[in-house]
Amino acid sequence: MKILFWIFLFSLLTGCVSQPVKKDMSAFIASAPRSILVVPIVNKSLDVEAPNYVLATLPMPLAEKGYYVFPVNTTKFVLEQEGYYEGDRIHNEPPAALAKLFDADAILYVTIHRWDAQYAVFSTTVTVELEYRMVYKDGTDIWNEKQKIAYTPQNNSSGSALGSLISAVISAAVTRTAPDYMTLTQQANREVFLLSPNAPPDGPYKTAKIN
Amino acid sequence: MSRTVLFVLFVISLTGCASNYGLYQWGGYENDLYAAYKDTTQVEKLRVNLEAHTMLMEKNGQRVAPGLYAELGTLYLQSGAPAKAIIMYKKERDVWPESKGLMTALIQNLERIQKTKQEVKI
Repeated sequence: MKILFWIFLFSLLTGCVSQPVKKDMSAFIASAPRSILVVPIVNKSLDVEAPNYVLATLPMPLAEKGYYVFPVNTTKFVLEQEGYYEGDRIHNEPPAALAKLFDADAILYVTIHRWDAQYAVFSTTVTVELEYRMVYKDGTDIWNEKQKIAYTPQNNSSGSALGSLISAVISAAVTRTAPDYMTLTQQANREVFLLSPNAPPDGPYKTAKIN
Repeated sequence: MSRTVLFVLFVISLTGCASNYGLYQWGGYENDLYAAYKDTTQVEKLRVNLEAHTMLMEKNGQRVAPGLYAELGTLYLQSGAPAKAIIMYKKERDVWPESKGLMTALIQNLERIQKTKQEVKI
């Protein structure tokens, strides 16, 4: 029982610890954006589905952070009407021109660097690596972050060796058919925007609610 | 060590990292949007759910989350109902002042197209 207690205590201490290095937020604070335009994602991974997961899961944490987030699907639609279909091309456009087109204060650019599953004998590890960059409407970089999350389904079987072998095989098979990329992406975005010490400061709608 | 203390610690360990979501309700928007991107037959479901969700928010007197009215408007526009799209873009503009520039541009553009069509008919 005592050992259990110490395990709990230890897990409490380590549970939320992130890197203590805090980045300089002065550029972000000085520009004080109210609205954020999330433009289509640049995908450097081999998974064609990856940008859909990432784009769909960005508005929620940013809006809950207190910013007005431009509707991502409407943004995509408007850009397509203007002839911009590729994330790469949009990311290379001058930010000032994009911000002006949407009347946005800041633009969020997200690039997917890794999005894959490594199949080992007994388990599967799913890895997602994302890079975030926020630019003010005058073209100044105001915030950036990299996030890498790896997930391996746990096998808690404490029975015979054969038992754990079977459960590992089942677990790998399940992950093989449907890795839970949605939860993983939500987790990555939440970490970056809400939990990390380098998360952007709260936006106007959040601070207004607190005061 | 009493069981109660262990239980309390266990509960804390569960809630310790909970993110403070809670400014808005989203009505399943994330999952529905992803599903619609993955499979275009699911766009209908995204539209129907957004309709129900925004109506529920209005009924309860709650503020609709940023962008949801506009997303619904765009889905109307893509399904060939520009008049309904305009209504949603106007709602987005009225609830969220930050969207005014974009929404006004979209509304004016659609109204111009509708006007041209009417003139052609005459």
